Amino acid sequence: MMPGKQAEPRPTAKYRSQFRIYVDIMSVIQRESNEAKPTRILYGANLSHDRLVKYLDELKALGVIQETGTDDKIYSLTQKGIEFMNNFRRVESFAQAFGFKI
Amino acid sequence: MEFIAFVIAIAIANQALRGYKLSKEKTLLYLNLSFVLIGAGLLVDGLSSLIVFLTGVRRGFLYPFAIGYTINFLAQVIAYGLLVYAYIHQARSVSESPTLALAAAVPFLFFERNAFTELILLFLLVYIATQTGINYSINKGTNSMLVFGAFLALAISHVFFLIFTVAPVFYPFAHIAQLCGFLLLLAMLLRVNRPT
Repeated sequence: MMPGKQAEPRPTAKYRSQFRIYVDIMSVIQRESNEAKPTRILYGANLSHDRLVKYLDELKALGVIQETGTDDKIYSLTQKGIEFMNNFRRVESFAQAFGFKI
Repeated sequence: MEFIAFVIAIAIANQALRGYKLSKEKTLLYLNLSFVLIGAGLLVDGLSSLIVFLTGVRRGFLYPFAIGYTINFLAQVIAYGLLVYAYIHQARSVSESPTLALAAAVPFLFFERNAFTELILLFLLVYIATQTGINYSINKGTNSMLVFGAFLALAISHVFFLIFTVAPVFYPFAHIAQLCGFLLLLAMLLRVNRPT
């Protein structure tokens, strides 16, 4: 801590896991009729530009999203991504039924 | 009835495990372990009752029944204790579960259903039913209602088991309530896995 400075209060926002961020990005793409521009994803998933680029690269490497377009990049879910989201929705509603959040 | 409940408990455990593998969310692992234990307890209790039934209810043959009940009881205490821990863990209010300590303090053999063991299970189930009831009051979903109904039925079944210790006539009602609880959980599982 810097001398003379008071300790900053801890952020109250809940920590979002990497898994949750992946799901949030993919949910935004799905919500946008499976064709989402980076700006939409950025606002929808509440991410900074740098983190968005990082996560989009990771999701592409996992094969759950694909990038199309050259000037205006468009992201969409692959078949693997759609299946993942279907499974996630099942697990989410199962967990919610018990009152657990994932 | 125990065998039907066993199959449903294992199906719930399997769904929770699939969820844990996908999300790595610890509460789902607790849910999985909890229902594996409930299923195992029900299976042992059912098998021991079957042995007693097949060999005839004579004094010497009641020992397997007592062992079965004891294993079932311990499995249920740990399982429901884990669920209570999962709810506490989710709320992040305390780091340790007093119910797990309670489970460890329970003497090893009880030999038969008694008021003390049933009160412990009832206490745990009332807590879980309250948590699932609060969850239902917040999100109003059908699946949440089914889970709330299930734990309420399981709590009621232990009220009947408690009364059974003084009035044996309530024994079938306890088993029927227990089966209803597991059937409600099955209904929730089928709804969750409906084709989209």
